[in-house]
Amino acid sequence: MTFHKPGAAGPAVAFRDVVKVYHPDIRALDHVSFDIHAGETVALLGPNGAGKSTAIDTMLGLRAPTGGEVRILGGAPAAAVAAGRIGGMLQTGGLPEGAKVGELVDLFRRLYHDDRSTGELLALAGIADLADRRVEQLSGGQTQRARFALALAGHPELLFLDEPTAALDVGARRKFWRSVATISAHGTTVLFATHYLEEADANASRILVVNHGRIVADGTPAQIKSYTATRTLQFTTPSPDPAELLRLPGVNDVLVDGDAVTVRTGDADETLPALYALGRRLRAMEVGGGGLEESLIALTSGDGAGADQRTTERVG
Amino acid sequence: MTAFLRFEIIRSLRNVRFLIFIIGFPVLLYLIYAKQHGISQGLTVAALLMVSMAVWSGMGSAMFATGPQLARERQSGWMRQLRVSPISAPGWFGAKLIQGILLIIPGFALLIALGFGYGHVHLSAGRVGTIAVILVLGTIPFCVLGLVIGLVFDGQTAQVAQMLIMFLLAFLGGIFIQWSSLPRAMQYIGDALPSYHLGQLAWNAAAGRALRIGDMAVLAAWAAGLGLIAVWRWRQESVA
Repeated sequence: MTFHKPGAAGPAVAFRDVVKVYHPDIRALDHVSFDIHAGETVALLGPNGAGKSTAIDTMLGLRAPTGGEVRILGGAPAAAVAAGRIGGMLQTGGLPEGAKVGELVDLFRRLYHDDRSTGELLALAGIADLADRRVEQLSGGQTQRARFALALAGHPELLFLDEPTAALDVGARRKFWRSVATISAHGTTVLFATHYLEEADANASRILVVNHGRIVADGTPAQIKSYTATRTLQFTTPSPDPAELLRLPGVNDVLVDGDAVTVRTGDADETLPALYALGRRLRAMEVGGGGLEESLIALTSGDGAGADQRTTERVG
Repeated sequence: MTAFLRFEIIRSLRNVRFLIFIIGFPVLLYLIYAKQHGISQGLTVAALLMVSMAVWSGMGSAMFATGPQLARERQSGWMRQLRVSPISAPGWFGAKLIQGILLIIPGFALLIALGFGYGHVHLSAGRVGTIAVILVLGTIPFCVLGLVIGLVFDGQTAQVAQMLIMFLLAFLGGIFIQWSSLPRAMQYIGDALPSYHLGQLAWNAAAGRALRIGDMAVLAAWAAGLGLIAVWRWRQESVA
């Protein structure tokens, strides 16, 4: 059995200008660069087809990037996979028919040379009672947790979870994230994909917002949430006074170009009445999203429990 | 790899369709036809059929190790899950090959027992051993054929494709009916198939005749040719 010093060789995940083209017109990843450091719990947040699964597939060595470089734990993804240093729970990871859950977990702990017992791994995933159950007889949520047990085999330094809670109900989801938190507290770096802002907010220390194959925002959950509330007010007014506009409630910044003004606010409901109360002549008022609208407002409009939205999710 | 091999074997032995096809079907055919009288290729019907059914069982065992199961597991995502585990592609295929070979044993043992007990076949231990070695090595091209079927077809069509291919191989290769009684055109096709040459090797061994290098060469050529197709398809899929 080999032991690796976590994070000894720089970032756990390094994306350098990664491009993935499936078809000349479709750029699943469009010059993506980011680092994930050891110990972080990072959410890849984005709508369906944003490029989350493609990004995870390239990190797992399941797909080769068209351009750029992906490094995992200081080396090529295939090397990290072969050394059993990473665990992955894929979006489409069906279980093999004819096998019992216990046999499956036992197989994986042997493949990864995990010294923990099968029972221990089953308990970690919350399915200690399902060891003798055939995989064909599992519910969607139980299948998901069995796959989680497989992903935990071998104490992975880096754990990838692609839409891990898709088949889970509210209670099971909460239990699932509690297990993930325990594992991350033991030093495992976690990267998960989701299209629910509140899931990312509740469980990640950092959020990467992905849309159209690009990283459109990168920050703490608090920062990302503040972007979602941002609105842009555009209007014209004779000889605008930036200082006056900056004093309005909620305003973050003001851009003045002749008579044309652009105000960015974190609370448009407060800013707008105060703006009109100034008594100025305001023309051509337009209220827009904060720049992340396409990728984020769509995500925040749902409540996260929309089952129909979840079932329409496909590999993207 | 041994853990994976054991896992796959336990799983196969729970597959009723596999057991019926590989053991039930040849045993049933044997019980129906073994009591016919006659001599063919220097063997009694009971001996000839025992060897033929063992060849069928061996071909099936090898093809079932990969075949439709692989097609289904590519589709369900299980193969992706395995590919992010430390098991390597050669390790996986090696285990599949050994699985196909080991699962020949139950069918072979049962058919030999039936042949000796029910068909009153008399073969020396040496000849039975030679047949066993021929089956072990001779089923390699069929294991690779299963791999190609599993990589080319999807989960729904692979099952039908495999059945069709197996029956065609057995029929044209003279495993079910005597090759010399086939129409001339079919004989030409059969002569090119690996099933015919595996059959030839096994029957010759049973009758105590010399084994022909030509038969072995054809089997090796099939294994190599199908192997190239399998590697090409596998690569195509893994760097997509």
